[in-house]
Amino acid sequence: MRVKPVLAILLLSLTGCVAPQQQLTSVGFVPPGGNPRIIVMRPDIAVDLLTAGGLLERREDWTNTARDNVLASLQSLQARRGGATRVAITRASAGGEDATVIELNKLHAVVGQSVLMHKFSAQASLPTKDGVFDWTLGELAVQYGEQSGYDYALFLYARDSFSSRGRVALQAVGYLGCMVGVCAVAPGGMQTAFASLVDLKTGELVWFNYLQSPEGDIRTQDGADVLVWTLLDSMSAKT
Amino acid sequence: MRSSRRHFMLGAGGCAACMSGLASARVLPTDLDPLIDVGYEPVDADERGMWQSMEQIEETIQASPQLLNSPQLQGYTAGIIERLLGRETPDLRLYLIRSALFNASMFPTGMMIVNTGLMARVRNEAQLAAVLGHEAGHYYRKHSIERYRSLRNKTAAMAWVGAAANVGAGAYAGGANGSNWIYAASAINTAVTMSVFQMSRAQEEEADAYGISLMSHSGYSPDAASQIWKQLIEERKASAEERDKRYSDRSRSVLSTHPPTEDRMRDLADTAAFLAKRGDQRVTDGRAEWLAAVAPHRAMLLDEQIKLNDPGASLYLVESLAQDGWTGLLRYNEGEIYRLRAEAGDHEKAAAAYAAATTLPDAPSEAWRAHGYAQLKAGKVEDGRHALNHYLAMNPEAKDAGVVRYTLAQ
Repeated sequence: MRVKPVLAILLLSLTGCVAPQQQLTSVGFVPPGGNPRIIVMRPDIAVDLLTAGGLLERREDWTNTARDNVLASLQSLQARRGGATRVAITRASAGGEDATVIELNKLHAVVGQSVLMHKFSAQASLPTKDGVFDWTLGELAVQYGEQSGYDYALFLYARDSFSSRGRVALQAVGYLGCMVGVCAVAPGGMQTAFASLVDLKTGELVWFNYLQSPEGDIRTQDGADVLVWTLLDSMSAKT
Repeated sequence: MRSSRRHFMLGAGGCAACMSGLASARVLPTDLDPLIDVGYEPVDADERGMWQSMEQIEETIQASPQLLNSPQLQGYTAGIIERLLGRETPDLRLYLIRSALFNASMFPTGMMIVNTGLMARVRNEAQLAAVLGHEAGHYYRKHSIERYRSLRNKTAAMAWVGAAANVGAGAYAGGANGSNWIYAASAINTAVTMSVFQMSRAQEEEADAYGISLMSHSGYSPDAASQIWKQLIEERKASAEERDKRYSDRSRSVLSTHPPTEDRMRDLADTAAFLAKRGDQRVTDGRAEWLAAVAPHRAMLLDEQIKLNDPGASLYLVESLAQDGWTGLLRYNEGEIYRLRAEAGDHEKAAAAYAAATTLPDAPSEAWRAHGYAQLKAGKVEDGRHALNHYLAMNPEAKDAGVVRYTLAQ
């Protein structure tokens, strides 16, 4: 279960350690003109239980529900946008060879995490990435484009987690500590997601967006809609 | 939780003195039943989640370019697993992975990974069976979920100890001993952390016992299990000596997930002796079968090992294999080790090894090339040219054929 909003505000005022939702878009992105063939890859989703001791425990039922919800959100977004965009409900429907698609999804997850770390976090920003956005999925993406016939691929990666009852109780004791002067509240569940548009002619990430939030719940359709719209709005708004 | 694990001294009862050699073998190989059957599907949410994550890993492994694509070695190894279990094994899925490190691993879903670095080191079928049986032990005793649940409980306990200590320290901060709460919490949590590693080592001991029991039931010489560790210790000593370092066993640490290597070797040897006393069947080590199965891959296995740039270990391996007689392939690889090490005198040693390789009937074409260039360097132009021509005759389509022809045209 998620920390109640009132409690979260209290927590914010007490410790100031809860990050507000952030959103950044790569600079200079011009949405593809004409009527490009875009494939929305099957999203990479996992939903975990955050145990009292801080371990992330994968929950199969939550993950499956969340993936269905995100797929439904993507489809309704696509229906609104129109154009030659297809949503890959299954991995096989992404076209291309299965091994290529598996590797590409895995590669996107790793590259996306690097972008988050080295472009959008103050602690690990790289001087070589200052003012440039030159990440790429390389030849594998080009290979996939040739196999599948698509011009662009949109990838979406999302992780969501929810505190166990034990974790919430532990946080309550943490607040108690704050009141007597030793303040160390265990962090609660967290949502991290990012999406990339990849040019399959060059392999380059031409657009990237992410969000990190202690709010939201992609196990519900509303929560999945918020995630998908928040991530993809800045791209679709300009088309 | 681990009620099936008994200390051997208890099991041996009043006869402990007469079997003193067994005092250190902690898990009896006779009282470990599999906890899951073919067709097992997890029910609990934590285990189902673990399986889902593992299945995603398996998908990536299935598509991995690191897979060793050898139906022959795959079939042979799967056959050993079936012999160990005495049945067909649809519940265990085997993947041979090209990695030169000595390792194998078992996933809770039944995915078993065996590295080529292990294939490079085992000397007979029974030694391979020992590792496969050990890994099967992790699976059938459900070690992954058991360890995860224990870790979950222990990390929760540690978090509670920490949180309680903070409150205590805060409440007592007015007094002089607020920090004592933090020190006490830290001491408790250190002990809990140690117990996490201790449990991992206990599981390894259980898997060792499980594996050796399977070996004994399926007619493999149980001695093979301890032989692997003996070889590995010898190899690591050779590697350390080569680098002017003292051999030290990294698993001899409270933070090790595996028991100390020498303890494992001794436990396994003790258990094998125990089984031999009890045993009434003939055991084999399947040496000829193993040598035939691995022969087509030997060149690749040696090549992987030598590229690790660990000359002590590589020489140990090549010289151990040469105890059955030097082959052209082994001599060529011996030369390569010296060439890559490139210390004083190594050029000569490499040249001698290449020369010896070319006198043997199975010398690979690369041995002739290496011999040719070594001879040219030594000023023996005729011999060098002869060897390089031999290389081109054996391997006219070689990638470097143009370079070699250029050398010959000089």
